[in-house]
Amino acid sequence: MSILEHSWQDALLSSIEVGIVVVDKSFYVHEFNQFMENHSGVLSADIKGKVLFDFFNEIDKNWLENKCQPVFSMNTPVFVIWEQRQYLFEFGTSRPITSSSDHMYQNITILPIPSESGQTERICLLVYDMTDQAMSKERADKLNEQLKVISRIDGLTGLFNRRYWQERFEREFKLTFRNKKPISVLILDIDHFKKVNDTYGHQAGDKVIQSLAMLIRKATRETDISGRYGGEEFVVLLPDTTADTALIVGERIRKAAQRYLVKHDNAEISVTISAGIAQFSSQFTRPLMWLEAADKALYQAKESGRNQVVLAEAHA
Amino acid sequence: MALPVLICDDSSFARKAMARSLPDEWDVDISYAVNGEEAIAQIEAGKGDVMFLDLNMPVMDGYQTMEIIRKRDLPTMVIVVSGDVQVEARKRMMAMGAIDFIRKPIDNSKLSSILTKYGIYTGESSAKKRAEDESVNTGDSIAEKLDAFREIANVAMGRAGENLAKLLNTFVELPIPNISIVHANELSMMLTNIDNEQQVSAVSKGFVSPSIKGEALIIFNDADVTAIQKVLGADKYQQELAEIEAVMDVSNIIIGACLNALSDQLQVIFTHNTPILLGVHCDINDIVDNNISRWEKVLVIEIAYSVSSGNINFELLLVIPDRDIDAAFSRLLGAQRSAEQVIPARDTIG
Repeated sequence: MSILEHSWQDALLSSIEVGIVVVDKSFYVHEFNQFMENHSGVLSADIKGKVLFDFFNEIDKNWLENKCQPVFSMNTPVFVIWEQRQYLFEFGTSRPITSSSDHMYQNITILPIPSESGQTERICLLVYDMTDQAMSKERADKLNEQLKVISRIDGLTGLFNRRYWQERFEREFKLTFRNKKPISVLILDIDHFKKVNDTYGHQAGDKVIQSLAMLIRKATRETDISGRYGGEEFVVLLPDTTADTALIVGERIRKAAQRYLVKHDNAEISVTISAGIAQFSSQFTRPLMWLEAADKALYQAKESGRNQVVLAEAHA
Repeated sequence: MALPVLICDDSSFARKAMARSLPDEWDVDISYAVNGEEAIAQIEAGKGDVMFLDLNMPVMDGYQTMEIIRKRDLPTMVIVVSGDVQVEARKRMMAMGAIDFIRKPIDNSKLSSILTKYGIYTGESSAKKRAEDESVNTGDSIAEKLDAFREIANVAMGRAGENLAKLLNTFVELPIPNISIVHANELSMMLTNIDNEQQVSAVSKGFVSPSIKGEALIIFNDADVTAIQKVLGADKYQQELAEIEAVMDVSNIIIGACLNALSDQLQVIFTHNTPILLGVHCDINDIVDNNISRWEKVLVIEIAYSVSSGNINFELLLVIPDRDIDAAFSRLLGAQRSAEQVIPARDTIG
């Protein structure tokens, strides 16, 4: 190779925006390009002929040796992406002012360099700067997460909305079919809610609904799944709960509602609720059948004078 | 008198390749069988004093065939010719009485040295004549093309399986690759090993050469990812990171070995791209819907790996766009014809 050829290849290696490190089986460094020098502050002349790990304490030696092993023994390239490990070399970012990260996210490609014998004696570590992709992916993920939350929540009460509650209900239904644990669903409705709206106005009605949502949240566990099903209708899914235990929860909500006074302008509004409860049974072949059983019990509660909680007839 | 030699392989492409690699000066009378059942009948009819036997075949595979040969003490010398080159596969077959093991694609000098070693044939090793005699698979029909691709996949799968077996330190069951031409958005229907009810994680890696381009996809059921982590014994990181790590480790090994085998057989050098995570813990249909918007037809090679010890199943899909199939096929024929020249030809831009 002529000197001239050498120099353009050197120029290429120095100016390329990719880190290039060549090491042998004992991780002695044979090549260390300008990108690596600039980001690490380690000079190529100093590290060549020395062991990589002595200069970069952040590298988990065992881990890297494990990753490189198939490159030596099987001649296959190995890829490490920033999603599994943010970086191999702890570098600052390429834009120290406007980047939202303080370190460089990296993709690492480990390539075999076959020698004349056909055996791989040396490997090449390529270091790609992935910071911008990583940052935009993280931003997008965060936004998606926020969107997901927004699309699940009922704006007025902060409980799950009907669509998402139904999704969870169906998922739990499927799971229960397999794991056979007891689980109950409770559906409740504010008694004579129309009267509240007619007497005090819709804003008062909204306050009543909000207050009830707050009472439901207080009366239930973290693991219970509460939602606003319709205007003044609420649903609570109670995992690991028999009908009898669900009745205790239902009664707790009913009594709390009865006691609670919603203040609006100068008025104090009190409401009662009626509720129906159905425990899961394998006789419910579709999720809706189960919910209908609870709804039937709610209807009975209304029929027998309201302000009460009724258990659906047991389904064996 | 000519020696009765039997070639047993489900792929006509592989049978012809085997026949072509037999030394010219060896006086043989070649018969063929497409599975073990046919092979047993042929041996019993005196047509297989020497048999070249593949391992992965439908109806009756190589292991079952060998078992019958041993039980009935049939008069044949079996040389296993397989893409499955795991130590365990070799051990099993040798224990049942196979005399030797050759990896696909066949290396002529290796074949000759085995024939010499067992005193079967000691003459000139050159195998050029039959290369002309044996009608080469011309790939006129699509069935012939699919058969040829199945055979390449077989070899690639075997290499990848061997590497995975080393990584996980266990035996990897190799299936018969499933090959078909489908619309890209029907890919999810190909996934025989994936439980649609469960969430999946998937990795994709593109491979590029002038004549053949495509994508390798690896799809795991999430339950299997956890099992792989257990086998790999990696649990020092946070859960999610460790899962991605396990998925990447297996993908690197499988895809890397597969592409190496493809590149050997097609005599092309691929540009390797960094793999990307198509999804972690998501619905298989989401992966297909979110990532595949093309309607174009694709050739899909589906390989369903199972690791018996850990109850791990996952799928490797090699997907080649319809428009590249012919180019890949002619590349394969070229590679087959020049198989005697060991120097790999570089795939040049024409």
